Amino acid sequence: MPSGSLIAAVGEVGKGFIHERSSETLPCQARSDELFCFDWAKDHIDRYATPTVQHLELVAISVLAGFAIAFALSLLAHRRPWLRPPLLAGTGVLYTIPSIAFFFLLLPITGRGRETAIIALSAYTLQIIYRNTTSGLANVPASVKDAARGMGLSERQVLWKVELPLATPEIVAGLRIATVSTVAIATLAVFAGGGGLGTQIYGGGNLNFATSIIIAGGIAILMALTFDAVLLLVQWLATPWRRAAHE
Amino acid sequence: MLAAVRFENATKRYGDSAEPAVDRLTLEVPAGEICVLVGPSGCGKTTAMRLVNRMVELSDGDVKIGGRSVREQAPAQLRRETGYVIQQIGLFPHRTIAENIGAVPQLLGWRKERIRARSAELLELIGLDPELGERYPSQLSGGQQQRVGVARALAADPPVMLMDEPFGAIDPINRERLQNEFLRLQAELRKTVLFVTHDIDEAIKMGDRIAVMRKGGRVAQYATPAELLMAPADEFVEDFVGADRALKRLALLRVADIDLWEAPLAHIGQATTEVRAKLAGAEVPYPLLVDAERRPLGWLSERDLAAEHVPARPDSPLGPVLDLDDVMRDALADLLQGEAQYAAVTDGQGRVAGVLSVEIISEFLGSPAARSEEHGAAERPLGSEGPRA
Repeated sequence: MPSGSLIAAVGEVGKGFIHERSSETLPCQARSDELFCFDWAKDHIDRYATPTVQHLELVAISVLAGFAIAFALSLLAHRRPWLRPPLLAGTGVLYTIPSIAFFFLLLPITGRGRETAIIALSAYTLQIIYRNTTSGLANVPASVKDAARGMGLSERQVLWKVELPLATPEIVAGLRIATVSTVAIATLAVFAGGGGLGTQIYGGGNLNFATSIIIAGGIAILMALTFDAVLLLVQWLATPWRRAAHE
Repeated sequence: MLAAVRFENATKRYGDSAEPAVDRLTLEVPAGEICVLVGPSGCGKTTAMRLVNRMVELSDGDVKIGGRSVREQAPAQLRRETGYVIQQIGLFPHRTIAENIGAVPQLLGWRKERIRARSAELLELIGLDPELGERYPSQLSGGQQQRVGVARALAADPPVMLMDEPFGAIDPINRERLQNEFLRLQAELRKTVLFVTHDIDEAIKMGDRIAVMRKGGRVAQYATPAELLMAPADEFVEDFVGADRALKRLALLRVADIDLWEAPLAHIGQATTEVRAKLAGAEVPYPLLVDAERRPLGWLSERDLAAEHVPARPDSPLGPVLDLDDVMRDALADLLQGEAQYAAVTDGQGRVAGVLSVEIISEFLGSPAARSEEHGAAERPLGSEGPRA
């Protein structure tokens, strides 16, 4: 399909503005005033495959690692109230470090590469997951715990059979926020040499070329929405009693 | 399985506080009886109850179940063998009703089919539709939830039940229904029950024995409800029991527990001279007209007796008719409401058994004979009165 006709097709949307320039011979990626260049996108869509997979891996590994650590910290603090303020403060401090600064701070220690990116990204998830898990556990009604102990459940059984199932909605809510924000922050992993969709956003240093930014950004948004939907589905499946309450 | 619960100088002290929450509590709850711990808030009644299943650990003294010290038993095992019902119910919101009821059997390692059968059996026992077993607690009313709470505590058939204000959060109508249902269950199951409440009326209704507790975890009096109402040990108990304790005693009695007056009976067509002869020396000044089956028809007036034979239609209406099984308090209410001086009392078959009057009741309350009157009514569940004539 000749480029002129594609642009003309877009011109149906853009009306006179694009149509006016359809006679020009320059390829659209060379013109900085063009918002989105379909021609270029069509020819280069392959180059997003590897960064997308890298991005998926960055997010999945970081969130899983962050969840494992934050979950363990929550359980540790659950029966030791004195541990809660320092842990909340600690994870909070990590959360406040600007992300690019965090990558550069880690570079001398862990060097450039995916591991550095994952360390920083995991650190960011700790605060949200930790806070939601502890508050989910704290919100389990005291009467339910009292009844559970009174019936002869051990402390471990109370935790795994009563408290954690009841805290699931809040834990998953934390995971959802953590995952969505990690999808976004992972676009900066490129500065730590971690790859991902960021390579297509900042790659080549041409921030004036909007098309690639829009494609990479669009993939990231889709990824975030998909993760969110999957987690929501997991929660829906794991909490049948909450559905019953609304019937 | 039966087991008495004995508190032997049981003491609970929190930290270094000078006043113990429970102070050298000594009392015995005979096997198969309901012992109510009652008292103002902060008197240590709940703490005392929780010493039994080690939800609160003893500081001193001992608690024995069936002669065996709770100190010798692992808390989790002890609790699985002791029923536990609390005011806030505490059903597991994420488990179905059947799973809630099966919680302790599951802990005890029962097989699945046995647990399912037991859940179904208990749902039936507490009068809930077996279909509710698949529902979640949030889909049930408060009253239904607390029935499930009781069923859950009964699941593994524990000899001892601990009930902490179990009906306290239920509306008055449902509370009364639940109390009656529990008494009916208890008549059958004969558990040894420790029942905590702050409501003296509930205590009188539910208890075979009542321990009135005062601040500092001491027992002010431990007695049957009748004894408590007749002879409060001190001013504290008297205040706690309330000024209307005479009326409360009536709630403990049934019409059958009191000496009724004999009614001068008259039959249709009988010579009035015969009837008049019966009236001489009778406690009731009016003859009661009955049919061939001795069922009451009405009261005869002076005008009725002026005729030669007893008429088929008496001049005065029958007024209230009481049953021997009626609770005295209700009987008095019927008398007062019917503005009647006398009421015919019938037995289960509707035959006249005697006459009750306001006078009999007031004499009874004032008489020393009443003091020896045993705790009659509460031994039978109040919900199971026979049909009224």
